[in-house]
Amino acid sequence: MNSYYAINLLIYAGVDIIACLALNLQFGVAGIVNFSFIVFQAVGAYTAAVLSMPPDTAPDYSFQIYVGGLQLPFPIPWIGGAIAGGLLAVPVGFVVLRKLRSDYQAIALLVLSVIANTVITNARPFLNGAAGLALVPAPLADLFDPATYGYFYVGLTAVCTALVALVAFRIVNSPYGRTLRAMREHEVAATAIGKNPVALKMTIFIVGGVIAGLSGGILTGYITFWAPSVWLYPETIILFAAVIVGGRGNNLGAVLGALLVPVGFEEVTRFIPSSIGPPGLIPALQWVAIGLLIIGFLWFRPEGVRPEPRRVFEGAPD
Amino acid sequence: MTSRSDQPMLVATDIHRHFEGMHAVDGVTIEVAPGKITGLIGPNGAGKSTFMAVLAGTLPSTSGTIVFDGKDITRLPAYRRARLGLVRTFQLPSEFARLTVLENLLVAAQHNRGDSLFGALMGKRYWIEDERKLVQQARTLLKRFGMTAKESDYAGTMSGGQKRLIEIMRALMLQPRLLLLDEPMSGVHPKIVQEIQYYLQDLRHEGLTILMVEHELHMVERLCDTVVVMAQGKVIGSGTMSSLRKQQEIVDAYLVG
Repeated sequence: MNSYYAINLLIYAGVDIIACLALNLQFGVAGIVNFSFIVFQAVGAYTAAVLSMPPDTAPDYSFQIYVGGLQLPFPIPWIGGAIAGGLLAVPVGFVVLRKLRSDYQAIALLVLSVIANTVITNARPFLNGAAGLALVPAPLADLFDPATYGYFYVGLTAVCTALVALVAFRIVNSPYGRTLRAMREHEVAATAIGKNPVALKMTIFIVGGVIAGLSGGILTGYITFWAPSVWLYPETIILFAAVIVGGRGNNLGAVLGALLVPVGFEEVTRFIPSSIGPPGLIPALQWVAIGLLIIGFLWFRPEGVRPEPRRVFEGAPD
Repeated sequence: MTSRSDQPMLVATDIHRHFEGMHAVDGVTIEVAPGKITGLIGPNGAGKSTFMAVLAGTLPSTSGTIVFDGKDITRLPAYRRARLGLVRTFQLPSEFARLTVLENLLVAAQHNRGDSLFGALMGKRYWIEDERKLVQQARTLLKRFGMTAKESDYAGTMSGGQKRLIEIMRALMLQPRLLLLDEPMSGVHPKIVQEIQYYLQDLRHEGLTILMVEHELHMVERLCDTVVVMAQGKVIGSGTMSSLRKQQEIVDAYLVG
C-alpha cells in the first residue's frame, strides 16, 4: 500500500467519522431523521471553497463563475463552513421541525436535498453549476513540501475529528443527552415533564449542521474540488447506513459505522474488477448492497454492531 | 407541595374544545381545591380525557380560561405548564422505553446544570453534583414505590402496572403542585391497583393536589374528596360521591349499577 492511498483513506475516514458523529446526534440520539444531511456538508464545503478561493476574475480561475472569492487565510474558511452549516439549519429547522410529524419531516428533508442539488446544478452564476468549483486552495499548502503535506492534512483532520468526538461524547453522556433520548422515545411525554421539544430539536439540528459544515470544509480542502455530483441525496443514505450498522445512539458505533460502511464497504468493492458485466454494473450493485445492508441490519440486528449502552449508575443494586 | 391559602389550586372557566364541529368539551367550569383529590368521572366519550389534555396544554382550548394557582395559564404551552407544577400523566403507557427506570425519573428533574447544551459541553465535572443529588432523590422515590430492584432495567420491559408507577414517580420528580392523572388504574394488575391507591392517599396526606379521571367507582369513592361528573362534554353534577348517588339524573346518566 503506498502512502498516498493510506493518507487518502485516513482523511476520508476522518471526514466520515465526523459526519457520522453529527448524524448520530441528530438521528441516533434525538430521533430527527435528517435526510438532507449531505446538504449541510455541501453548504460547508461551498462556503469554505469560496472563502478561500480568489475572485473568479483571477487569471487561473476565470474559467468558472462563483460568488465570494475572498481568499481568506486558514482556518477562517473552515470556521465559515461550520457556521454556514449551522446557519442553514436555522431556516430549515424552523420550517420542518416545528409543526410536521417526524415521518413528514423525513420526507420534507429528503425533498429539500433533491431541490437544493437541482438548484445548485442549474444556477451556474452562483456556484458554477454542474461543473462545480475546482482549484480550491489547500489550507496552508505553501508552508509544506508537497511530499509531506498529506501527513499534515491527516493531522489536521485528526484534530478536528477529536474535537468533534469530544463534543459528541459530552453531549451523549450528559443529562442533556438523556433529555434528547427521552424526546426521541416519547415526544408528548417529554413535553409533559417540562421539555420544549422544538427548542431541543432546533438546537441539535444546528449543532449537527455546524459539524456537517466543518466536515465539508475539510473534504473540499483536501480534494480541492466541490460539485453537485458529490452531494447527491444517496450520500446521506450511506451515512444513515453507517449509523444504523454501527449502532444508533452510540458514538463508538457511529465511528465504527463510518469505518465499516463509507470507508470499508466502498473501498472493498473498489477492488472488484470492473470488467465483470456491462459498464456501470459494479457501482450499481454497490447501491443495491447498501440497501440490503440497511434492511439486513434493521431486520436482524436493529440496534447495530455497538448498541446504545444501558446506563447503570454508581451504587445500583445488582 | 402544599398551598397555604384556601383559594382553589386550579380554576377552569367555560372551557370549550371543538373538533371540526364536534363539541368534545362544551363549556366546562370546575375548581380544584388544594390538598384534595378531585375525581372526574363520566361515560366513555364524555370529554374527560380531552378536558385533561386541555388543562395540561397538550391540546389548545377553543375558548375559556384556565387559572393555575392565581396565574392565567390559558396561553402557556404544555411544557411551561409542567414547569409551573401542573403535571399530567397519560391514559396509555408513556414511559421512555429505551431509558432505564432510574433515567425515566432523572430526566424529569427541573434543575440540573447538565441539562442544556452549554452544561453538557462543559463536561461532567460541571454537572456531576446536581446529578448525584437527583440520583439520590430518584432512589428515594424508587424505594417508596418498591421499585429499587428495577432501577437499571429499561422502562420498556416493565409491566403495565410498573409503567404506571414509573409515570407517577416521574411526575413527582418535577415536584408538582397539581397532578393530573388520566385513568391511573387502567390496564393495571389488581394488586398494583391497591398499591397505587395507597400511594395516592399518601401523597394527598402530604398535601399534594390531585385531579384524576377514573372509571372504577368504588375506587373513586374511596379516594376522592370531591367528584365531578361529565357527560357529552358538559359537567352535569359535582359533590361527594354519596351526594351524587342521590341525584336521579346523574344516576341515570352514569351511575347505574
